[in-house]
Amino acid sequence: MTDTPAAHPTDPFDPDAINAAEGLDPVDPAYTQVLRIATALNLIPLAIGASIFDALLIRHIDGPYGLITALAWLAAVVMIATFPSRRVARWGYRIGEGQLRVARGWLFRTDTIVPFVRVQHIDVGQGPIERWFGLSHLIVHTSGTHNSTVTLPGLHADLAAAMRETIRRHIQTDFA
Amino acid sequence: MNDAVAITTAEAEPDWQRLHPATLALAVVKLGPRSLQFLPAVAALGFTGNWIWIVPAIGAFLLISLAAAWFQWLRFRFLVGGDEVVIESGVLSRQHRTIPFDRIQDVSIEQGLVSRALGIAKVGFETGAGGKENDASLDAIALDSAQALRTTIRAHRSGEVAAPVATADASEAPPFVEDRLLFAMTPRQLLIAGLFNFSLAALAVVGAGMQFFDGLLPFDFNVFNPMDWINIAEDYGLDQWLLAHRWIAGVGAALSLLLIGFASGIATMFFANWDFRLTREPRALRRTRGLTTRTDVAVPVKRVQAAILVTGWFRQRFGWHELRLQSLASDGEKERDHQVVPFAKLGEIDPVLSEVAIRRPDAGQAWQHSHRIVALGPITGAVCATIGGGVALYLGNEVGGLGLVAAPLIALIAFWAARFHRWADLGEQVAIRRGAWKPKMTLLPHASVQSVDLKSDFILRPLGLATLVFGVPGGSSLATHEIPAIPLAAAIDLRTRILAARARS
Repeated sequence: MTDTPAAHPTDPFDPDAINAAEGLDPVDPAYTQVLRIATALNLIPLAIGASIFDALLIRHIDGPYGLITALAWLAAVVMIATFPSRRVARWGYRIGEGQLRVARGWLFRTDTIVPFVRVQHIDVGQGPIERWFGLSHLIVHTSGTHNSTVTLPGLHADLAAAMRETIRRHIQTDFA
Repeated sequence: MNDAVAITTAEAEPDWQRLHPATLALAVVKLGPRSLQFLPAVAALGFTGNWIWIVPAIGAFLLISLAAAWFQWLRFRFLVGGDEVVIESGVLSRQHRTIPFDRIQDVSIEQGLVSRALGIAKVGFETGAGGKENDASLDAIALDSAQALRTTIRAHRSGEVAAPVATADASEAPPFVEDRLLFAMTPRQLLIAGLFNFSLAALAVVGAGMQFFDGLLPFDFNVFNPMDWINIAEDYGLDQWLLAHRWIAGVGAALSLLLIGFASGIATMFFANWDFRLTREPRALRRTRGLTTRTDVAVPVKRVQAAILVTGWFRQRFGWHELRLQSLASDGEKERDHQVVPFAKLGEIDPVLSEVAIRRPDAGQAWQHSHRIVALGPITGAVCATIGGGVALYLGNEVGGLGLVAAPLIALIAFWAARFHRWADLGEQVAIRRGAWKPKMTLLPHASVQSVDLKSDFILRPLGLATLVFGVPGGSSLATHEIPAIPLAAAIDLRTRILAARARS
């Protein structure tokens, strides 16, 4: 939204370097917590399932009891602790010049541009975890078959609403 | 313009109409397949020994089905208003649906074999709402009233958007001129197209059938078995001669293969494209075709998003191409784009392309190539096949050898075919070519592009490459428009130019 110049232009290992180099704004840091909780909600049941499997089966067939449990919990803890912040650092967006730009991912990075005039309609959504942290996500619908929805998560609720208003002013129906 | 208003007001009287009574006859025909569901019940009656009840049960089933069809017919009515179609339907739960003419993308008319005999047609309204089941249809009304209905709706649309059309293609086709025939297929052209349509797909079916019904066939003859050909020869006392000329049997088998391939190609072409006509109407390209099932589809010119020229490795040598148009309204469930020219030389295709304001790059066009890394996917597959084949061979399975032979071949073909990924920016549109075996050229006007993805990953990034993916309305989400593995700078440059284009009007 704001025209902040690239804050970290030099260090290639800085988490903000990708976004800064491409002239993108980072999403709200609080989104890390949202992702962390969402990841935890996905992984902890899996880890519990692995523990039960371990206790019920491996112990009875004289296998290496405890190995699967330990590995599952280790993987879950590592993924919950480290991955969310890295994923969040790789989301970037830029709104302006009549277009919305959303970039995500590193291993497979996708940088999407949607001109405002091509937007069919806009959603601002908020899940229960996001509400907790005062965040929203913006969903932009286009009429293209590929990219019919473009989602930008991790926006402060006020910012998402402001962005929606900005885009809404540009929407014009192309198709009757 | 005035004509349009006149037609609209003439049709505007609030008369509820019913479907054509012959629809009931259609319902009887449809009973045939449906009665199969009844078979288990009949079988159950038979097994329990209640033979007496079979005939009454079938009678009751027929009666109830016909009564249901009649009730449905009775409770289905529609109204063609000044600017909307209203449909009321349902016996127990009533449905009331209003479709404004403005929201109707396209009106299709379809006639099956029985419908043609009865002179009725199914009218489908394409509203662009997601999913086929959301689109309303009138099944079925008299053919001439179906055509009148379509004229009404089209005239409404033309009247409404007459102003922009005058600027867009006034030079080409002023509104409300006579419908012009753009392209038609004569039986001779169909025959040639059918010959190029050579397909051994039917052969697999016939072959499988022969295997399956081997003992059941009244004659013991397999066209694919050279021994059978020798047996025939023996019957005619040719065996002595044949023993010396065994190759005759082989030739016979090969000939029958060819015959089946050509016959199936010609048959499918004749059934699908008999009396193919593409005409230019004031607002749309209209296509009628089909031998048993005739379809009549209009592609509104303004809704055309991209053109796709498809040819084949062999037919390309003779200059034959196929033209498809990607439109906002889709063509049935299976086909996601409209085949407007099934088989023609480029000279015949160019006039059609100019109607939708799309230009084909000429022979001297300079193409830019995708990086050969696009072959990485198939080559990875080939490597996996080699490993798998090697393991299988090591474990003593001889089929593994097949993998070892096929893998280098696949890799080589992929590497060679990668050269055919090309693209060119023609100023107002992008041309993307791909494929060696089935060359395909997509002509995508910049203005059709709704969104652009610039993708890179851990393989493309070190090479300084990126893939551009375009979001285009219509078509299928599986076949995306993309330019794979081009230099990052070129990709960013092309993206900027495409996004600068105005909306296609």
